[in-house]
Amino acid sequence: MSTESQTFTEKYDLLGCIQCGRCTGGCPVTVRADLNVRRFVNDAYDEEKLDELARLADIWDCTACHTCAVRCPKGLKPLEVLIGLRSLIVESGKVEPTVRDALQSVLLEGNPWEKSRAARLDWMEGLDVPIADPEVPVENLFFVCCTIAYDPRVQSIAKNIIKILNKAGVDYAFLDESESCCGSEVFTLGEEGLFEMLVEDNTEYLNEYQAKRIVALSPHCFTTYKAHYPDLKSEVIHYTQFLDELLAEGKVTWKGDLQKKIVFHDPCYLGKQSGVYDEPRRLLKGIPGVELLEFERRRERSLCCEGGGGKMWVESESKKERLAETRIKDAKELGADIVAVACPFCVLTLEDAMKGLGYEEEMRVAEIMELLGEFVEA
Amino acid sequence: MKTFVCIKYVPDTSEAEVKVNPDGVSVDSSRFSFDINEADNYAVEESVLIKEDKGGEITVVSIGPKQSDVMIRMALAKGCDQAVRVEDDRIASHDPLMMAKVLSGAVKGQEFDLILVGCMASDDWHMSTGVAMAEELGINHASMVKKVELLDGKVRAHRELEGGLMEVVELELPAVLTIQTGINEPRYAPIRGIRQAQKKELKVVSLDDIEVDAASVGPDASGVILEQLYIPEVESAAEFIEGEPDEKAEKLASILVKGGLV
Ligand code: SF4
Ligand code: SF4
Repeated sequence: MSTESQTFTEKYDLLGCIQCGRCTGGCPVTVRADLNVRRFVNDAYDEEKLDELARLADIWDCTACHTCAVRCPKGLKPLEVLIGLRSLIVESGKVEPTVRDALQSVLLEGNPWEKSRAARLDWMEGLDVPIADPEVPVENLFFVCCTIAYDPRVQSIAKNIIKILNKAGVDYAFLDESESCCGSEVFTLGEEGLFEMLVEDNTEYLNEYQAKRIVALSPHCFTTYKAHYPDLKSEVIHYTQFLDELLAEGKVTWKGDLQKKIVFHDPCYLGKQSGVYDEPRRLLKGIPGVELLEFERRRERSLCCEGGGGKMWVESESKKERLAETRIKDAKELGADIVAVACPFCVLTLEDAMKGLGYEEEMRVAEIMELLGEFVEA
Repeated sequence: MKTFVCIKYVPDTSEAEVKVNPDGVSVDSSRFSFDINEADNYAVEESVLIKEDKGGEITVVSIGPKQSDVMIRMALAKGCDQAVRVEDDRIASHDPLMMAKVLSGAVKGQEFDLILVGCMASDDWHMSTGVAMAEELGINHASMVKKVELLDGKVRAHRELEGGLMEVVELELPAVLTIQTGINEPRYAPIRGIRQAQKKELKVVSLDDIEVDAASVGPDASGVILEQLYIPEVESAAEFIEGEPDEKAEKLASILVKGGLV
């Protein structure tokens, strides 16, 4: 983490840039927005220009997909220059009302969805869920994610995994309503102070539990914990990795079969940012009857759905085709019946695009956990 | 320009179900999130915009529990200079006139040009605290203000009225303005700003500290008695009255008389 005394140039290692253009060349949003991240990396070198750069609307087009960081031969993270510029706006307080409300909700209620903390566990109603106790060591401590906890569309991710865990007799526990936002979107929206506070508070909070490992249900929490929480005592994994283990140990029994063609969309936060590509595919292939297809743009080159980077709260000005629509059209062309994802944001953006395109009758967007809920014996 | 801005800490009842406690006169607030009253947030922003334009000093005044300090700190982070929070359980807080007396007590004896208050609170929707404060302090007021223009020794207030009418009035300062939502776009209070605002003074006072006689703002002094709270029943009975206008009026009047409503 940077210190206040660092200059912008030092903080983002701007002098390391050789202006090769690999970042811009891979940036998925350039097809629909004017964002040119290489230009920002170049121009931000002039400290006097920072305020002017921060006022450009382009900085809010970045989806934090990390393609630029993956491609940069010098190991720079060009997107973080944009986040740094966003933070100048956040510090002035003059952000979009939607961004303001999301950030304030994280501070007051521990989630960006303006929901009450007291309602965080409402999704558990009727389920038999062990709640973690700091005094009792636990093998697998589950971290739910604000979106999965509060959005009824994706709550099934958590509900279904519980049924599988109970059936398999796994040692696990979920956190109580004191679980707070991991800060993934707080970070990308540029609220540095709040993010630092979350890292400090969540590290202390999670370290209180004697957890061998933390299993995150969302790739955003997963990657954020791995990349930005150096002092976490427990190892952090994503649920697809966890279930892949169960599958290998023979602890998953299938029921029925799914005679469908499924194409897997690699979520940026699971793939590009954390290198988890094979586990979700193995889970899908495990479902009897499934034929797994592949997008042409897959794995490291997967197309972003535009759900990250705080874009849930920032409307794009561009009227051009959304990347999620491109993705759904590609899936249609492949002949896929189901577009499977492993991220709550991807579900929301891709499903929205699918409905907008009017493909509801012939196609389905599903989180892997939804499918497993239907086809794993529980 | 010396401004006071009065803010209230209120529950957000839009998400959680509202349940009346067994005592029948209070609401179970354990599942609510709390925040600054919406209209008061606009009042804070307006006070900061005025300060940015004309200079001066802003004091936040609030009646509420310790938990509301975070809301006050946010206002300080946005540009207010100091704050006074009145905490005293002897106040009949369900009565806006009593609240107005207490808020006025916190302001009395100090110099000021403007008092900005949200036009209504989203917990009990009385829409009267600000106006009652003006009465209490013996100064001018304008309610439902959607635009503020400061003139020499005066303020021109644009009031949003029923039917979309906009009334423009000029008042001598000092004055109370009750601020309507939508007058501006409230800014965000970044955490670093909130941390820095810890240095600003937040005085916690009792009724005695502000020299308000507890008996004058307590339940016995209040003309409002909270007898029973209940969730309105959903009903869908509607009677259409037919006939010429004078016949309609007669029928309506007799219904009202029969129902004991007039
Ligand atoms: S890829 Fe890296 S080195 Fe190349 S232009 Fe972008 S930031 Fe500079
Ligand atoms: S993170 Fe993705 S969207 Fe943002 S600049 Fe990099 S490549 Fe473009």
